[in-house]
Amino acid sequence: MKGALLTALALVLLSIEAVLVRTFGFEVTRIDVTVAIIVFVAVRAKTIEGALTSFAIGYLVDVFTGRPSGLYPALAVLVFLLARAAAQLLDGKSRLGYALFAASATVGHSLVAFLLMWLTSKDADGRVLSLSAAPAQALLTGVVAALLFPLLSKIEPGERVDVGRYA
Amino acid sequence: MAALIIVPLISFLSRGGRGREPNFIDRAVLAVSSPLQSALTAVFSGVGSTVQGYVALRGAHEEAGVCRAQLAEAQAELNTLTEAKAENARLREALGFTESSSALSVMARVIGLNASPQFQSFRIDRGEDQGVRVGMPVVTPRGVVGQVVRAVAGSADVMVMLDPKSRIGALVQRTRVRGTVVGAGDGQKMLLDFVRREDDISDGDVVVTAGTDGVFPRGLVIGSVKGVSRPTVGLFLIGQVEPAVDLGRVEEVLVLPAVELSAMRAPEPRR
Repeated sequence: MKGALLTALALVLLSIEAVLVRTFGFEVTRIDVTVAIIVFVAVRAKTIEGALTSFAIGYLVDVFTGRPSGLYPALAVLVFLLARAAAQLLDGKSRLGYALFAASATVGHSLVAFLLMWLTSKDADGRVLSLSAAPAQALLTGVVAALLFPLLSKIEPGERVDVGRYA
Repeated sequence: MAALIIVPLISFLSRGGRGREPNFIDRAVLAVSSPLQSALTAVFSGVGSTVQGYVALRGAHEEAGVCRAQLAEAQAELNTLTEAKAENARLREALGFTESSSALSVMARVIGLNASPQFQSFRIDRGEDQGVRVGMPVVTPRGVVGQVVRAVAGSADVMVMLDPKSRIGALVQRTRVRGTVVGAGDGQKMLLDFVRREDDISDGDVVVTAGTDGVFPRGLVIGSVKGVSRPTVGLFLIGQVEPAVDLGRVEEVLVLPAVELSAMRAPEPRR
């Protein structure tokens, strides 16, 4: 149920972002709202439920690209697992910690997406996309994550109960 | 859990990054999100008009406080009319273009840009129900925008020519030199590729569609050359092309019918 709610929230936020980006144009730095939600799920939710929710959110992002290829569901679950592993070592439950987690995850998400798209590019000449926006994207995602924190905490207030069983 | 990563990853790698045909889940997601985006677009447009009205109202208030109420009313009406006038002009221009092209063109409104920076695409509010199909060229009266990459019942997604996967057969209007326009992936420009180093191309040259890609009819304006570099090694020069259309801020587009080879016409040389 919580997973469905978070997925629905991701759908609404993606729709809002799509309309906002339309106002500013393609060159504007995007906010990775879905990564922020996935990181929250990784820190708070149970492993299986969190992984399925992350997959669903990644699937949504994939559909929103216009050319769903499977890239984003895989990336979403990967980010979920890495964030969950990192949450064992670092504090990701506080508002600030969570925002930093989300910002870091955004950088990782962009890098892996870049790598995979570069691998599948016919030309493989580095022309697939620019990574220059990644720092600003991470910063903005961190800020949005901090703003979303209260809402997300209401949807998923529970503490993790299965720490360590993420593999 | 490994399957949640491996299965989609294999799908991605095996397709080489190309998208799949929309399945019933995709269609369900789009059936929910497209009307939501349409509604949000309308709301944000309304808020924008209100903010503009507010800014104008503040200026009027400082200048003539006594007439504030009357001025607000007039300003609000003016904003509405201005917006309507601008929309009217755009639609009239587009309508003229439609009449001069094909009767099967579909007019569509942009309802959202793709939020993922890795893909340069946007969504329009016309889809299969209105005759929009994958592969159809999308244009405005000013020039080429991109092509339809996915169509469902009430909406479609358009890959703009800025996307690194976009390839358009092109022709330099002045010198008839042929090349391929490729999206640079930075959301701002394209590259003119496969043009020999010794070919005559310079800044400001207009680049039009060559009609050789099986998607775009011949003679549509793509953009203009902004910077040419001729590497000391290699067969080809590298030209940067600035799109004729402000692709990030386009509001209405025309979806043209798929190209018929017999319908291709030669571009008029620039005078």
